[in-house]
Amino acid sequence: MSANQRIRGASAPCDAAFVTRWLRGCAAQIAAHRDYLTQLDAAVGDADHGVNLDRGFVAVGSVLEAADGLPPGELLVQAGSTLVLRVGGAAGPLYGTAFREAGRCLGTARTFGVAHLTEALEAALQGVTALGAAVEGDKTMVDAWLPAIRALRDQAGAALPDALHAATVAAEAGAAATTAMEARKGRASYLGPRSVGHQDPGATSTALLFLALERAAG
Amino acid sequence: MDRAARILKALATGPPRSGVSELAERLGLAKTTVHGLLRTLERQDLVEQDAETGKYRLGPEMLELGNAFLDHHELRGRSLLWADTLANRVGEAVRVGVLHGRRVLIVHHVFRPDDSVQILEVGASVPWHVSALGKVHAAALPNDRRRTLLAGALPQLTGRTIIDPHVLAVALEEIGVAGFATEDQEAVIGEAEIAAAVFDHRGHPVGAIGVAGPAERVTPAGPSEAIVAAVQDTARRLSWEMGAPRRHAVAARRPRVDAG
Repeated sequence: MSANQRIRGASAPCDAAFVTRWLRGCAAQIAAHRDYLTQLDAAVGDADHGVNLDRGFVAVGSVLEAADGLPPGELLVQAGSTLVLRVGGAAGPLYGTAFREAGRCLGTARTFGVAHLTEALEAALQGVTALGAAVEGDKTMVDAWLPAIRALRDQAGAALPDALHAATVAAEAGAAATTAMEARKGRASYLGPRSVGHQDPGATSTALLFLALERAAG
Repeated sequence: MDRAARILKALATGPPRSGVSELAERLGLAKTTVHGLLRTLERQDLVEQDAETGKYRLGPEMLELGNAFLDHHELRGRSLLWADTLANRVGEAVRVGVLHGRRVLIVHHVFRPDDSVQILEVGASVPWHVSALGKVHAAALPNDRRRTLLAGALPQLTGRTIIDPHVLAVALEEIGVAGFATEDQEAVIGEAEIAAAVFDHRGHPVGAIGVAGPAERVTPAGPSEAIVAAVQDTARRLSWEMGAPRRHAVAARRPRVDAG
């Protein structure tokens, strides 16, 4: 075990059960907000965001059933691959990449702490931006991801529930702020100024995934 | 006339509703001038005034004009049946587009023939370099017009968008030789398009027709051969109808219209 891993392990409240709770929580949040997400998407996109994500996270649930004993990183990689295959549209490749990159960052560690989780989520965001080339202010899921990760960095050393609460609050504020933005990426950018006044569905679902993460810790 | 046209374009591209002072400031015109022009446009139903806020927005007559544009668009008119036939043949959505400045204007869109929710994109426009329609149209243009397109802004819409003008120039050469263009998740992640140019009686490109759909079906490992064949076949027959010379066209019977 490297020194780095020992440090991460020193306060390592996260394990495979935590990741399983997170992924199941994601499925529950997406299912509960499915119609809302689809409504948001109808204003700026294909009207399929909620339905597609719900289908994908239901499939992730089945994968978790058969994934007993896997390390948390591998759980996330498998969830990501399932989302790529089952969600479709832009959300499938984006969230699929996010979970896969987070999983790869966790590697084979059985437990991990806030610092390693923050690194994993940073890797997830890097995967998203490599694919979409979106920057903050483009009215995409990046507008929820970036503030959440900034909040996690600011909370370095804080207890897990506090850090994740700060991340959720930041992600929700980031998603809300997309309402005033003009879309510059994705299908919504076809609408140009007409996209102003609608909250971005991708940023909204990202905030839900951070909420599920917070609840998995609490 | 020029100032009235600028007001209409400002209303079309700015916030959905604008006040007289906002418009005057944006266009660098006197408030009284803008007010007078708006009143004239309002009498023609080209703009309307919101009763509550007093702000102006585009009026219903604009839609009539837009529809008339589409109705009189020759490529669109001639592509209606061909686009339906192509969509049924490959089981994906079909779009017809024409270069307009630095963007491709979608003039016709046939939904993928399944029961999924799809949004009509007629009237939407996308940057030319992120669209197979735009790339294949550009590849068929004379060198000077191609250079102008390559010299302007090339915004990045995804991580796969080609934004290097030199790379894009090479791609256009290859597209010209191949006779079709592929766009693989360069505009929207997860979506791809394969398109071929349509030519008129002078042998000039007038637009393009393409098949758009999920990247895993349109570009599973490079462009789908079946879709490329269907798109090129359709473009040649459509070009024949436009009176294009033989190097661009294949004699075509009008596609049969299936009942219902």
